[in-house]
Amino acid sequence: MARAVRSNNRIDLIVLTTCVVLALAARALPNTMRDPVATGMRRSFLAPLVMLQERSEKGRQSLLSADAKQEHLDSLSLASIKAGSLEGENDRLRKLIGLGSRLRWGFVPAEALHGRGVRDETTVILSAGSRAGVSRLSPVIGPEGLVGVVDQVDPTMSHAMLWTHPDFRVSAMSPDGSAFGIAQAHLTGATGDYLLELRGVPFRATLKPGSVIVSSGWGGVWPRGIPVGTVLQEIKTTEGWARTYLLRPAVNPADVYSVMILRRDRVAKGVDGVWESAAQVDAAAQRIVVSGDSAAKSAALAEAAARRAVLDSIARANGVAPAGVTDSTRAVSQPVAPRPVPVRRPPADTTVRRDTTPRDTTRRDSAPPPANAPPPGATR
Amino acid sequence: MNLGGAIRATISFLIFVVLHYTLRPLLGWRAPMDFLVLALLLASVRVRPATAAVIGFILGMISDSLAPDALGAGAIAMTIVGFGASYLKAVFFADNLVLNAFFFFLGKWVFDILYFIGEQRVHGVELVQQLLLWSPLSAAVTAAVGVLLLFIMRPLLEPSTA
Repeated sequence: MARAVRSNNRIDLIVLTTCVVLALAARALPNTMRDPVATGMRRSFLAPLVMLQERSEKGRQSLLSADAKQEHLDSLSLASIKAGSLEGENDRLRKLIGLGSRLRWGFVPAEALHGRGVRDETTVILSAGSRAGVSRLSPVIGPEGLVGVVDQVDPTMSHAMLWTHPDFRVSAMSPDGSAFGIAQAHLTGATGDYLLELRGVPFRATLKPGSVIVSSGWGGVWPRGIPVGTVLQEIKTTEGWARTYLLRPAVNPADVYSVMILRRDRVAKGVDGVWESAAQVDAAAQRIVVSGDSAAKSAALAEAAARRAVLDSIARANGVAPAGVTDSTRAVSQPVAPRPVPVRRPPADTTVRRDTTPRDTTRRDSAPPPANAPPPGATR
Repeated sequence: MNLGGAIRATISFLIFVVLHYTLRPLLGWRAPMDFLVLALLLASVRVRPATAAVIGFILGMISDSLAPDALGAGAIAMTIVGFGASYLKAVFFADNLVLNAFFFFLGKWVFDILYFIGEQRVHGVELVQQLLLWSPLSAAVTAAVGVLLLFIMRPLLEPSTA
């Protein structure tokens, strides 16, 4: 018994010594031999454990960087929100530059400062004054058209009345000169939208919805040809001698931030051709878009027709009625149950029958009666 | 130890090894717990000292293979810790959590002392700081986690009554 215990202890010590010697040998290995041993172990039976460790460390890195990523995402979201307004502002500034290049001379660019509360867009402060050549009653325009008129001038700034002001008036007409009137702000409805109305249009002159209305040049304040708005519809007023039309304004007062102030000498020379060319460019772009839409629509229709033809041929091959066949056609080819015989009533009240839907109108959409069916009104 | 006990002990051992390579890097503490030492200590008290030495040597080589510069240091430390734990199992082979916690603490601390001395990477004040501050902290964390796992895995680790 004692010998067995002693023997076991000796074996334990031998194994311990062997393991320690092996470990010391591994510790004493030169780098050139140490690395291949470690690499071989990592690539063979330790590969799953190494993979687990890598994934855990990646998970830890993800957890640590989650806050930073969220902050980055928030910054990107904020930047994208700002980008929308910046794009709109850039677009408007490009248009303003285009207007300046078309006007060429006689204008003063200015910033419009909205100093009042929301929905109180009747006046603005302009960042140009008499030193820049601005005078009272100088027209204020934007790339889209008429904005307002200067009513007070300081050396470095001026005050302008927008077209939304209750006292604002401008003589306007259709581009062909067939209808004239006075454009002024329309009292807003329940929606609160800014609209214009063209009053005093002669009764014989009619304007179609969508017609463009421009300044007429009468009165000497506004040159001829500045877009005022687009006809929406005629509105009924108590004035029986003239028509009044509702206009969608060319310029939204809430979007007025950069404007052009026309000098008096430029007003005297007129602005002919400035908005016509812009309108032509817009119309050309619109035509391109419409033609693209038409091409896409026709291609889609052709594809749908081809698909329908294939489905019909498959259906015929299977002995089933084609999908495109109307209910009326199907009614002819299938046996029809006898229709209930209508009761003939005496034509006592023809006036009432005249106001109801004609019978042939309803019959046109329904299934035609089969050849052996009794005629309507017949009794069996 | 019967076959069922051996299987349960092996499963426990593998769980500790997997935890060492998943939970430990995920937490990334400055004073990390050492599941390999826990696995070694729990295995050592169930086997002969020679077997414990071999298990320690293998676990040490596994640990060292991920840090080739210290190849062999972990193997030496774990061999000695495993052999010592198995040799002293009569002292600690009690169902006492405090004794087990002290056992884990001591095993991990001895392992760190042997490892850092054998590794020869840190010297001087840094080595003293490591052995007297971070290693005991790591050993304490290891002991706490070991006791917690012993409590959780009691059905697996207790010898079968059947």
